[in-house]
Amino acid sequence: MSDGQPSRRDFMIQAAGALTAYAVVPDLAGATSPVPTPPLKVGLIGAGRQGRAIVAELQKMAGVELCAVCDTVAGRLDAMLGRVKGAEGFADHRALLGQRPDVAALVVATPTHLHRAIVDDALGAGRHVYCESPLASTVDDCRAIAAAASRATTVCQAGFQGRSNPTYKRAQTLVRSELRDLVSIEARSHRKTSWRFPSSDPSLERLVNWRLDPDVSTGLAGEVAAQQLDVAHWFSGTYPVRIEGRGEIRHHKDGRTVPDTIDLQLRWADGLALQYHATLANSYGAQTETFYGVNGTIRLAWTHGWLFKEPDAPTQGWEVYATRQQHFNSEGIVLIANATQLAAQGDLKAGIGLPHPSLYYALEDFVRSATTGAPVACSAEEGARASIIGILANQAVIGRAPVDVPVFG
Amino acid sequence: MLLATAAMGTRFELTLAAGRSHDLRAAGEAALEEIAIWHRRLSRFAPDSLVSHLNREAHHRAVPLDAETFALFDDALSVWRASNGAFDIACAPLVTASGFAPSATSAESGPEPQRIPSPDTRMRARPSPRSARSTSDAIELDRTRWTVKFTKPGVSLDLGAIGKGHALDCAAAVLVAHGVTSALLHGGTSSVVTIGAPPGADGWRVALAGNWDVGVLTLVNSAMAISHTDSQRSASGASHIVDPRVGGARGPAASAVGAPRVVVTGPSARLADAWATALAVMGQIPDTLPAGYQARFENGHAT
Repeated sequence: MSDGQPSRRDFMIQAAGALTAYAVVPDLAGATSPVPTPPLKVGLIGAGRQGRAIVAELQKMAGVELCAVCDTVAGRLDAMLGRVKGAEGFADHRALLGQRPDVAALVVATPTHLHRAIVDDALGAGRHVYCESPLASTVDDCRAIAAAASRATTVCQAGFQGRSNPTYKRAQTLVRSELRDLVSIEARSHRKTSWRFPSSDPSLERLVNWRLDPDVSTGLAGEVAAQQLDVAHWFSGTYPVRIEGRGEIRHHKDGRTVPDTIDLQLRWADGLALQYHATLANSYGAQTETFYGVNGTIRLAWTHGWLFKEPDAPTQGWEVYATRQQHFNSEGIVLIANATQLAAQGDLKAGIGLPHPSLYYALEDFVRSATTGAPVACSAEEGARASIIGILANQAVIGRAPVDVPVFG
Repeated sequence: MLLATAAMGTRFELTLAAGRSHDLRAAGEAALEEIAIWHRRLSRFAPDSLVSHLNREAHHRAVPLDAETFALFDDALSVWRASNGAFDIACAPLVTASGFAPSATSAESGPEPQRIPSPDTRMRARPSPRSARSTSDAIELDRTRWTVKFTKPGVSLDLGAIGKGHALDCAAAVLVAHGVTSALLHGGTSSVVTIGAPPGADGWRVALAGNWDVGVLTLVNSAMAISHTDSQRSASGASHIVDPRVGGARGPAASAVGAPRVVVTGPSARLADAWATALAVMGQIPDTLPAGYQARFENGHAT
């Protein structure tokens, strides 16, 4: 409108946006970067690929200073120190803890089976800890980390990112309000990679390729599926009681024994079932979780999410103006980030997809908890349970026999 | 061994010539992952990319960068200065005004929204040349802190003319770090970087389609980029190369179908990429082309 007055259509769109925000919009109200004063000094333990991704997200946050990096592999440590301005390097996490008392928070991104000792030491030294998922590769280690966190006076957050992801947080409320009763769940992770990392030093081969070492690896079930299965635990509010699984080496026949393709079926006490498929031999579809309900379906893909309504489901007024995308013969309502503001600007479509990767939101929640005392997005206890589910799922795959899940107290 | 991934709206391929197969594949996959990382970081269409983050945040504060990204920006600004503004990473508003939409291609980043504007949307979005101008003089790099900040409103980054080369340079560095001594990497065939030479050969031979004074280039530990205005056009027929100096797709190389193509060779694919775009806009080879880089136009054309 040239006179600056909103037209009826503008008003309707803005009103629809506001309603949309209520119904399908991720809650970004608290998602701006916290700006602690003075900056939160953070140390990174584990300078591999995930460590690099963590650094990239921490660098986006005002008020966070990456002061220290630790890795036992000199080449990886040197490479990371070359990337980050002003960080001090350590080859041993205990040296970091002893020599840098100013580093208040640690992000642990080492191989999974090395987490326990580092988290124990860091919490014992009074530091806040963000531990990548899964928490550990054995049930005992998972429980030990949860126990250490319960004794600690500092924050310990498990890196199950779905619980921090704004799209997933909104989807969690929609599962109850829009889908009504859950019918079933499907999830998948498709990548095309050997899962093998290059190592120019043969003595480091086992350390570098720990995912392919059956003595310490929890396989695709523990290392990949656990992160996605936790979304189902969170949405359903309960844990499965029984897991069946099988795995095969469908493509990477290079002498490995850890399957490159797995299928899982998880069953809940009320009969709900989750079908899971992961492979390293095909990348189609990437990583998604789909929740089927009586009144609709929610499909999640980490930075994106959609709600598909059943034709006989009640229609809400805001749906007329919601942003939609076609998926073959189905039309999905897009879960839009920050839709209230975008609707006010008449540009809801610009909000398709989150403004940051999922990892950013998990780390942002950690920084907020460490600096303000806010509750952690995923506690060590919740992380331990999700990790144990992954470990048991791997046991079902390897043993080719169903595994009963213990009741978590 | 041939490995490939889809990224930056095109197909990247790696040809690895020698080595133990498991190790070679692992090194190649690490190189592909490097390309995927830069795809995710440099896309201006993906809202969760680093470039999108900078386009939102660097107007308000100095944002820290890692060493590789800082070096990328440093090189981009050096080419902007040396080309007298013919290459400019602050040209996103101009590219948008030309009607270019994101590609749906992604590197394991999941579904990517397609926001192809309708013709009428493009017409509305197209600003006048002068209002669309934003230049790299508003990009401030702090060498002591490795930060970037925008000092004028309206700056919006598009690294499409340097991103492929940068990703290839980084991927090649990964291969070298893991002991690969012979490889050719390319992005969409228009950006190439080589490591060593194929076994038994004196170099990687790259044929140029068209009418060039040298039809085949032999590359050894060097890079190549080719840029021309007909390679990509929007639905409205606009060239994907815009002339930042005049505020639109109206430089010598962008003015007409059939404008001369240019190929640049040199040590870095990143710089070759940027200079190929700069020269396509300029239509001539300036004295400021860095030492170690050669450029030639198709049909020997250079004005």
